[in-house]
Amino acid sequence: MKLIKKTIPLAIVFTVGVLTLLSYYVPHKVAVDFVETVSKWENIVMAFAFMLGLISLFRTHYGKITRQVPGWGYSIFVFIGFLAMVVPAIVTKGRTMEAGSITALGWSYRHIYNALAGTMFAVLAFYIVSTAYRSFRIKSAQAFVLFVAAFILILGKVPLGQLIWDKVLGWTGYTVSQVIGWIMAVPAVAGKRGIMIGIAIGAVVTSFKIIFGIEKQYLGRD
Amino acid sequence: MTKNKALHLAVLFLFTAGSAFAAKPAAVKKAPAQPAAAITGFAAADMPYDVGGAALLRWPVGHAETPDTVYTVFASTVENGGWVKADEFKAAGNSGKSVDLPFWAWDGSSSEHALKVDLNAAFGELPAGTVVHFKVESSVNGVVTAASEPVSAEPKGNWFRLDRLNNVVLFVVLVGVFFWAVSHAKRKGLFIRRIAGLDAIDEAIGRATEMGKPIYYTTGNQPISYIGTIASTFILGEVSKKVAQYDSMIQVPHYDPVVMTVCKEVVKQSYLEAGRPDSYRDDSNFFVSQDQFSFAASVDGLIAREKPAAVFFMGYFSAEALLLAEVGAANGAIQIAGTDAEGQLPFFFTACDYTLIGEELYAAGAYLSKEPMLLSALKVQDFGKLVVMLAVLFGTVIVMLGAKFHWDTLVNVVVNVFKAY
Repeated sequence: MKLIKKTIPLAIVFTVGVLTLLSYYVPHKVAVDFVETVSKWENIVMAFAFMLGLISLFRTHYGKITRQVPGWGYSIFVFIGFLAMVVPAIVTKGRTMEAGSITALGWSYRHIYNALAGTMFAVLAFYIVSTAYRSFRIKSAQAFVLFVAAFILILGKVPLGQLIWDKVLGWTGYTVSQVIGWIMAVPAVAGKRGIMIGIAIGAVVTSFKIIFGIEKQYLGRD
Repeated sequence: MTKNKALHLAVLFLFTAGSAFAAKPAAVKKAPAQPAAAITGFAAADMPYDVGGAALLRWPVGHAETPDTVYTVFASTVENGGWVKADEFKAAGNSGKSVDLPFWAWDGSSSEHALKVDLNAAFGELPAGTVVHFKVESSVNGVVTAASEPVSAEPKGNWFRLDRLNNVVLFVVLVGVFFWAVSHAKRKGLFIRRIAGLDAIDEAIGRATEMGKPIYYTTGNQPISYIGTIASTFILGEVSKKVAQYDSMIQVPHYDPVVMTVCKEVVKQSYLEAGRPDSYRDDSNFFVSQDQFSFAASVDGLIAREKPAAVFFMGYFSAEALLLAEVGAANGAIQIAGTDAEGQLPFFFTACDYTLIGEELYAAGAYLSKEPMLLSALKVQDFGKLVVMLAVLFGTVIVMLGAKFHWDTLVNVVVNVFKAY
């Protein structure tokens, strides 16, 4: 049992991990073909897993409707939305335009999907305002630095802010655009690169843990 | 008489010789119709360290070359004729130094031209073993001034990227340190600094248990092949074990069906390890949508209706980061985020109670599990950071001093060693 549950999966992870790693150093067509094949397999697995996802989605929402849990009415829209996109897609064979005119799928895509996605994206603007308000509450020295940097950036992005800067701080000889340029090019980039280096090293070490079988929680424990 | 004859002969010789010498400039005038000079030393070879389908051409810089000289390279897959223009460049913009390879893999000189010719662009994918012929012509203002003899090369795939030798060395050192750290962990414990966001997990789960409300956990929007998602599943394992111990409830909405399948196993295993397999619910992991805003809208709706006591955002997030975190904050949940999407970190900082920055996401699983083998790997992360810090420090000093005192060779070596090829 341990052979099937642990040893073979770990051997597969090690072999595929090492081969994928080697493909970075081996430019030969054999290595390129290997990576392409693995990518194809991944796509095939994805296609089957998507069916699992769909079944999970339907089971969850069907359960909510039958048990009439709070908010079960929203679950009906999952099925309506699914049918509103899938049925026209089958009828029109996946075409959004035909003979210069919009098909039923094109209509659903443009007037249902795009409209809803656009609405969600638009909500982001309101959330940014409320988040900005929260971040502007100065509770520590770090928050003060954040506030000053953000305030200068906001000033520099609006003509009125530029005018205020020129009137109040024009004597410094620096325009607000120059200060913004420096903030974005020096401290912001330095911080970002520090985080990115940490992420890269963390990713490498996590990969080692998986390839060499140190981390095997995803397989379960003995 | 003889004397006069000799004088006549001498005059005749002088005239003949004069005509002969005078003929030379006339021959030069005719040159534009026929290339006057040959490009010598023109050589073709397989382009090293590549997949195949490219050739490397080298030839010395000509003495008569001017900044206006244009080189045109022709390639052919047949023995005679069939020439196709493969590349064209101004002489001034190309030398052996312009090839982007490190000093240990390439010995280019400024007294030569070197050109990588992409044959796939010119001929499509060539069958293995195809011999390709090359010739080069130089021209000034459209007039051909010199041409080479055709040469041949057989492009083929190589087995090692010698230009990535610096990467190999770093890799070997890291692997060595990794195994040293793992073996060291077996002998004695290691000091690991506290991570506030992870220490708050107990508090968040305890609060959820007291309030009788669920805990939400999202793994981001990347597939299981993404390393941040894998790290997130490790954290999910530890979080769901605590949830099982507290007999609380966890809900894991998913963006990716493969991640959902893996997470089901992880959560199930955690409940088993906590000794509460009876409390495990198969529908705690569920698929929502693989569309960014549909996913955000659905999870926002769930959070708004069920008002969870704690929400975890662990993994890679895009624009939906703020959409999710802000709704959680508005509904009064304790929120702990961890992401390697540095662009989304500011949003999590402002909307969440605790945020794991980049590498902490990768360290979290080991930190929570407290297993010596996994904790030891954190030391490798620290070692990697030390290497980077020292490299940045010494690299900056050497390059600055090199620029000041014109240590061009040393600067070139440093730049090559720390460059990714």
